[in-house]
Amino acid sequence: MSDNQAVMNDFDFHGKALDTIFDDYVEMLDSKPVGYSNKYGGFWYIAKSDDIFDAEQDPETWSVGPSMLLPSFGTDMPLIPIDIDPPTHAGFRKILLPMFTPMAVAKLEPGMHETAQSLADDVMNSTEEAVDVSALFARPMPTIIFSRLAGYPEEDWVLFDRWVDEIIYDRTTHPERAHAAGDELIAYMDKLINQRRNDPASYDDITNQLLTAKTDGRELTHEELLSYGYLLFLAGLDTTAWAIRAALWYLARNKDAQQKLRENPKLIPNATEEFLRTLSPVQAMARTALKDTVVRGQEIKQGERAVLVFGAGNRDPEVYEAPNDIDIERENNRHLAFGGGIHRCLGSNLGRKEVVISLEHFLATVPDFELAEDAPWHGVGPLKIKINKEH
Amino acid sequence: MAELYVDQSRCQGHARCYMLAPETFMIDDEGYGFVREGREGSYDEENVRKAIRNCPERAIKIRGEEEAK
Ligand code: SF4
Repeated sequence: MSDNQAVMNDFDFHGKALDTIFDDYVEMLDSKPVGYSNKYGGFWYIAKSDDIFDAEQDPETWSVGPSMLLPSFGTDMPLIPIDIDPPTHAGFRKILLPMFTPMAVAKLEPGMHETAQSLADDVMNSTEEAVDVSALFARPMPTIIFSRLAGYPEEDWVLFDRWVDEIIYDRTTHPERAHAAGDELIAYMDKLINQRRNDPASYDDITNQLLTAKTDGRELTHEELLSYGYLLFLAGLDTTAWAIRAALWYLARNKDAQQKLRENPKLIPNATEEFLRTLSPVQAMARTALKDTVVRGQEIKQGERAVLVFGAGNRDPEVYEAPNDIDIERENNRHLAFGGGIHRCLGSNLGRKEVVISLEHFLATVPDFELAEDAPWHGVGPLKIKINKEH
Repeated sequence: MAELYVDQSRCQGHARCYMLAPETFMIDDEGYGFVREGREGSYDEENVRKAIRNCPERAIKIRGEEEAK
């Protein structure tokens, strides 16, 4: 018991800690579904699916301020819309919701197919023994798709991976590096917005949508545009790359699933949901209690931080049969990979489609593959595979 | 008579309903889900059941039953 307490007291959901986090989830769900961790200034973790769901549906008790991100994404400015509470939040969200409906996403599909195919061809054409499919496939896919949708000029794309790495992945170990990269990203958004302001009519993309949108009957301020742009950049590029990479990581280690999806691509959307449930890019998001409250018998005081551990909720045995099995044919899959409630991921339809189309082309183009060397399931780092071309 | 509907106070526009049962659900211009006209009685159909079970907000309900199963 004391052992288990020790594990939970320093529960962490970033970096190296992700290597073994699924074991933490089993312990938490089994013996301490609400507990306190001393990491990142201290927070209550909430692990049960129902408790997470309830907290997300209750923004009057749970604020997203000062930030849903713990630690922050290389900046102290509140990010729109994720760090904004009601009533201001709804207006910001409404601006972009129409750009992410299934109908809007369907219009991007031809471009997604073309891009996924040409990246899969690059993988096949690589002469390396061990092909890094994170660098050649998982990362460029969302960079290209989202950059086109957002309106980031193509010549700038080479800058993006480093900003994502430093802002998101180095923030726990090198916060100063994350802030420096954050400053670069802010400067980039500032330049982009100023350029566009002079020429709004020639574009039909997210940046333009933000520039011309009204909330509460007024246009967004320059600071609001920067904040919204900053968040979208990171949300649009990183999470989808992780999701594609994690799916490939799993398939490289599970030939049966790989074969099944290759023979029956109609299963890919279902499999994608299962990868999102079990290997999600967003394992947890933070809240702050606006008043004293009680979660599963545990008192939480006003002002205390809490972390909704989506990744644990997604493996809650009360919700899923054999929760730690990755079953690509699982039917009931109301998972928390995109969060829930008013802050649920705006880009879920886009992200899903990108993963599905990526896997379709990858599996149709690349024959039997396996890991060339050990690699963590998480993150966007290298994923080297060996392709058995004789097959 | 029981009637299928989307609880507008809960729906956040994730469009799972439309993806799983497009003949029954539709998404409005703002991005929120609703039940197509004439489809209010389709709650027993297999893919509608699947949509109910997969809606992240549990927003798809059946009026006349205490809660959607
Ligand atoms: S799945 Fe649920 S939340 Fe999403 S649009 Fe349909 S009813 Fe609304």
